[in-house]
Amino acid sequence: MLQKKRIHPLPAAGAAVFALALAAAPGFASVYTVHVLSVAMISYLCVLSVYVLLGLCGQNSFAQAGLWGVGAYLAGNVLLKTPGGSAAAFLAAVGGTALVAFLLGFAFFRLRQYYFTFASIGLMTILNGIFMNWEAFSGGAVGMKGIPAFSLFGWTASTEQSKFYVIFAVCLAATALILLLFRSALGRSFMAIRDNEMTADSMGINSLLTKSIAFAISGALCGAAGALYASLSGYLSYQSFTYNQSTIYLIMIMIGGTMSPVGAIIGTCVITLLQEGFRSLQDYMQLIYGLGVIILMIFQPEGILGGGRALYERLAKRREKTEAGSV
Amino acid sequence: MNALRSEERRPKLVLSDVCKSFGGVTAAQEICLEIYGGEVLGLIGPNGAGKTTLINLITGVYRASRGEMIFKGQSITRQPTYRRAKAGIGRTFQHPHLLDRCDVLTNIIMGSDMAARKRTGAKPELERELPEILACAGLEHIRLHDPVSKLSYGQQKLLEVVRVLLSHPDILLLDEPAAGLNNRETQYVADLIRYAVQRDIGVLLIEHSMELVMSICDRITVLNFGHQIATGTPAEIQNNEEVIRAYLGGGSDDAED
Amino acid sequence: MVIQLLVSGIAVGIVYGLIAMGMVLIFRTVGIMNFAQGDFLMFGGYFAYTFNQVLGLPIVPALILASLCMGAIGILFMRTSYWALRGAQAKAIIVSAMGASIVLKEGARLLWGSIPLSLDKVKEGSVTIAGATIQWQYAAIIAIAFLLMLLVYVLLEKTFIGYIMQATAQDQYMSSLSGIPVVVSIGMTFALSAAITGICGGLLAPIFFLSNTMGATAGPKAFAAIVIGGFGSVPGAIIGGLIVGLVEQFGGAYISSTYQLVLIYVVLIIFLMFRPKGLFQEKIQEKA
Repeated sequence: MLQKKRIHPLPAAGAAVFALALAAAPGFASVYTVHVLSVAMISYLCVLSVYVLLGLCGQNSFAQAGLWGVGAYLAGNVLLKTPGGSAAAFLAAVGGTALVAFLLGFAFFRLRQYYFTFASIGLMTILNGIFMNWEAFSGGAVGMKGIPAFSLFGWTASTEQSKFYVIFAVCLAATALILLLFRSALGRSFMAIRDNEMTADSMGINSLLTKSIAFAISGALCGAAGALYASLSGYLSYQSFTYNQSTIYLIMIMIGGTMSPVGAIIGTCVITLLQEGFRSLQDYMQLIYGLGVIILMIFQPEGILGGGRALYERLAKRREKTEAGSV
Repeated sequence: MNALRSEERRPKLVLSDVCKSFGGVTAAQEICLEIYGGEVLGLIGPNGAGKTTLINLITGVYRASRGEMIFKGQSITRQPTYRRAKAGIGRTFQHPHLLDRCDVLTNIIMGSDMAARKRTGAKPELERELPEILACAGLEHIRLHDPVSKLSYGQQKLLEVVRVLLSHPDILLLDEPAAGLNNRETQYVADLIRYAVQRDIGVLLIEHSMELVMSICDRITVLNFGHQIATGTPAEIQNNEEVIRAYLGGGSDDAED
Repeated sequence: MVIQLLVSGIAVGIVYGLIAMGMVLIFRTVGIMNFAQGDFLMFGGYFAYTFNQVLGLPIVPALILASLCMGAIGILFMRTSYWALRGAQAKAIIVSAMGASIVLKEGARLLWGSIPLSLDKVKEGSVTIAGATIQWQYAAIIAIAFLLMLLVYVLLEKTFIGYIMQATAQDQYMSSLSGIPVVVSIGMTFALSAAITGICGGLLAPIFFLSNTMGATAGPKAFAAIVIGGFGSVPGAIIGGLIVGLVEQFGGAYISSTYQLVLIYVVLIIFLMFRPKGLFQEKIQEKA
């Protein structure tokens, strides 16, 4: 009676093919393309963090790019100023950002819905101001230069391809963990809060703590993305970690669909393709991008995944009907 | 006051002199209640009498202005909602509050998640319990992977009761579980209440359907404008003049809304 | 110095307050925060620039024409980014407003270029009061802002169209049942909101320069004003705007100019922590 959740064969096969194609990409793609893919995967981690917070827990935050920056600068500091090495930097970024997010969450989630969103806008601006001005931590307006590439046990990810695989592995692990979260009691309590906070309370869920945990998990994802970004680009500037970047993450998840990590993948791919594909149009690229967002929201307010799912279910129902009719 | 239950049994929940006012409006005035395990206490009264407010006071959605609430020997008067729920106070809502973007199974598992959160040591045995409870609720044929929005209104209300039963509460507060349900579904509500009573759960039932209340309740309390005007067995309540004047008598048009 | 900062703080603050008021008008009608409001400011500034600098009109008629154009933009925005999505979840509408914000920003860049522009002040020169030099533009901004507030008040409280708009804000469904064309009424609200914000753009441009990122810096400050003043309250939005403006000017002068922006949000977060309902929330609840 309580069989595990059905696995739809078509989407599952699609996901596997996609992962394999991505894994094989460095074999034939140009160095530039590989770099673009690496950056896109880092964005994906941040979009995944929006999925946890907005898709699972129903809380809208504009501070994700700020948390990404916290992770990046933490990793950069560890790499440049301590002998800890890459693993320590990665752990410091993930753990440190998660802790920062948890504490902020505990303070901010006393506020509900819109108020939290406002607080997160404020937080984003404050974090950006800190990155821009706190020279000891971030290098100030000059930025942080010469961050070494990722290395572990004497092996260094010096080429674009090897960096790609490091990021790819982290993305796979993060996706797997988030899928586990989705099926766990913690994940269900996130969803309870998303759907109705009063119900969640009446089911014994401490909503303040649970939302803070969700924010901490999203912080950990952003922290991981930040550490990878620091190693990938070697240079950090406050101009990367802006409110605008946060809105891009939100747009990505909304375009893809907030109901599953697959939505995060689709959204990241679509926006990256839009941005890269229209690069030749230069001046008009951003305009087309903005129009595309409006049009997609009008025709697919549940995101591409939502539209796809509705179509899939309609087809499945039709198949059921014809099968029933033929018997 | 009422010696329906033997003296050695201790009530699971005791409310003494609980008051609540919103601005100038008194929603609860010196309410005194006891709920024992394995009994059904009916709570009736005209619309606006403060019945749902009382549930919200017990669950902690509202804080009592005055008075004391003791649950299983401990004061819960100042505890937040989630603590009280964890301690074993389960409730349903007038309009079903399900996780409307999740499937039926997830909603069901939420109930046993909560039982697990209580850390009583007893593992929830969903596999064993679920078929029995679903049978009581007449939901044995629903598809567990359908989204809850595909269920009818009545099924959603029944599912909510199923979910809260799976969380193994000590007392169960049902807010008009049969409102908007057809006769058959009302029977399922009665079956679910009996299921709870068998497991020594104390049930507080708010309901306008007199048929259900009179047939299933051990004791009944009548509220009017926040005042407790009578408490007693169904027979006593039916013959209480003040109750008839305030509620039962006056052309029972509103009995069904 | 203090008087100078006080005047500039009030002038800038009252503009933030007007932008915030525009957002609140929309929020009260449709329950959505408009994330493109800052770009209305920027676009209005560019319209005023076109009428004033390109076509050579005096600044006051240029501002009036710009506000009319912004009214049209407001209606267009409402049709594309709100009305087409009104059945969807709030977050979809927010994202489409962000898309519109990008379109407005990029549209402005393509139409008017990315070089910062300026336009005429309402009145050139300055006056010296008690040893403080005060630009006439600041005085003009404060005067025009009060005039606009008065106009909005009269429009909403004393005219038929205002009643219709308020009725729609309170209950769309009931309004449609009473024969109010809800789409027209909501369109009017968006137009009004965009027109007010557009004039603000024309007023701010001589002080801050016009650029297509002007909205992106002013918009979040208006958010801060709304929260400080109390969510959904019009007088709260104005007072909140004044607080933001004063904090910005005094903080920039006395505490740190690099942390000027940070300071505003620290104030915002202090308000959220200790007075989450803002200054004017209670009054609103009484009204509702």
